Amino acid sequence: MDRITKAIGLGLLKVGERLPPEAALSEMFGVGGATLREALGELRERGIVETRRGRSGGTFVVNQPRTQTDAIRDWFLSTSISEIRDIGDEHSAIAATTVRLACERAEAHDFERLQELARALVLADTPEVRAPADSRFHIELAIAAQSPRLANAEIRLQEETVQQLWTPLAVIFDPEQATAEHLELVRAIAQDQPEKAQKLVLEHIRRNIFHLIDKKLTLGYAQSNQDGQ
Amino acid sequence: MKPTAEVVHAASALSSWMSGVCTEVNKLSSDVAALLERNLAGKSKVDRAALKGVDAYPRDFLTRNSYAAGAGTFFAVETIDDKVPALDWWARKEYGTIGRLDLDMTPGSNRYYDYEKLPFFSTAASTGEQSMWGPYVDFLGFEEYILTFAAPLRVQDRFTGVTACDIRIKDLEPLIMPTLRAIPGDAALVNASNRVILGNSGSYLVGERIKSGDSNQRRVALDVPHLGLSLIYAA
Repeated sequence: MDRITKAIGLGLLKVGERLPPEAALSEMFGVGGATLREALGELRERGIVETRRGRSGGTFVVNQPRTQTDAIRDWFLSTSISEIRDIGDEHSAIAATTVRLACERAEAHDFERLQELARALVLADTPEVRAPADSRFHIELAIAAQSPRLANAEIRLQEETVQQLWTPLAVIFDPEQATAEHLELVRAIAQDQPEKAQKLVLEHIRRNIFHLIDKKLTLGYAQSNQDGQ
Repeated sequence: MKPTAEVVHAASALSSWMSGVCTEVNKLSSDVAALLERNLAGKSKVDRAALKGVDAYPRDFLTRNSYAAGAGTFFAVETIDDKVPALDWWARKEYGTIGRLDLDMTPGSNRYYDYEKLPFFSTAASTGEQSMWGPYVDFLGFEEYILTFAAPLRVQDRFTGVTACDIRIKDLEPLIMPTLRAIPGDAALVNASNRVILGNSGSYLVGERIKSGDSNQRRVALDVPHLGLSLIYAA
């Protein structure tokens, strides 16, 4: 669905145009029929495409999808600092246990994978790629902890905030420092040092949350700052 | 000290159960290989035409083996024609139907399932022998806590991928717990990395890694080649 949305966003599929037949779309996006129909269903629900019956029927693009930047800006404007702090509180609770369990349960294969994923963040050269690289690392921690529930909680938390963290809106987040923190965390896990790993991950999350609050203040209260002057 | 009769009996029952799964996965692999060889008729790359009819085997596998949640083939990327999906994977869905599992096979995409890097694939690729990986959380794949039994797929004398089956940990539990419960003390089935697959009490919890050094802990290797399984039990 992301790729169809992107294709519309990039103007490859224009508003008012009829989408190619399903088989052609399947080929174009390299997905099976079931996946494609599911994606189209979701786009229909979001009012981006519409299916009309009849001789001139078919599936049409009826609305430009909102850009991600718009959605992220709205998130910062509509989410209060107390809510951002609370996300951090939950994330801290999940992550602390995750890294402690990872210390006990991870094995060599997991350390290598975590290191590779940590490096992928610094190798990512655009914010669009940094966000998934960062979230992938955190999800892999929960996988190394062998817990499907913690992994699901981590996936949910990442989906909620990772785009906001890496968006170049307002204040840019530094991938080198985040990567250094991830690598240090992997070392603590590989050396089975649960106290250290927990301390590192809590500091890491606190820094992320401070960054989100910074962005919120810059985007949401820049105006009142000027008014006050 | 020799293991008790209960331990010997449990080890042999577990070996035979696990071997049974391996036999089925190896058969799946050789059936798929034979069909591909016939379909390819000397061509080197697996293409759409070569895959014709291949899905019958994993579907039949799932019908016959109710313990398995998924089965099929992951192809080695260099052996397939570009336009072919790199996997032919079938999973048991709700209400007992069997359906194809569509995974994201676009390198670089956020949900790319890079199976060639996963141990069930890379171990079978590097050793050329049957293998087992897990318990693990199969993120971006089946998205469950599973064991994967794998066998290399050899077509025209060349490594072409891996044929495998997934077993959910929660489905395995009722199948082998009675065997473990027949051992009077704490006991557990552990994998090659000393990770608990299933224990008969809270002392050995699935997913945990056994620290060696407990002098009361005894171990007997299971008779299943290449899987590295053992049964640990209290002396």
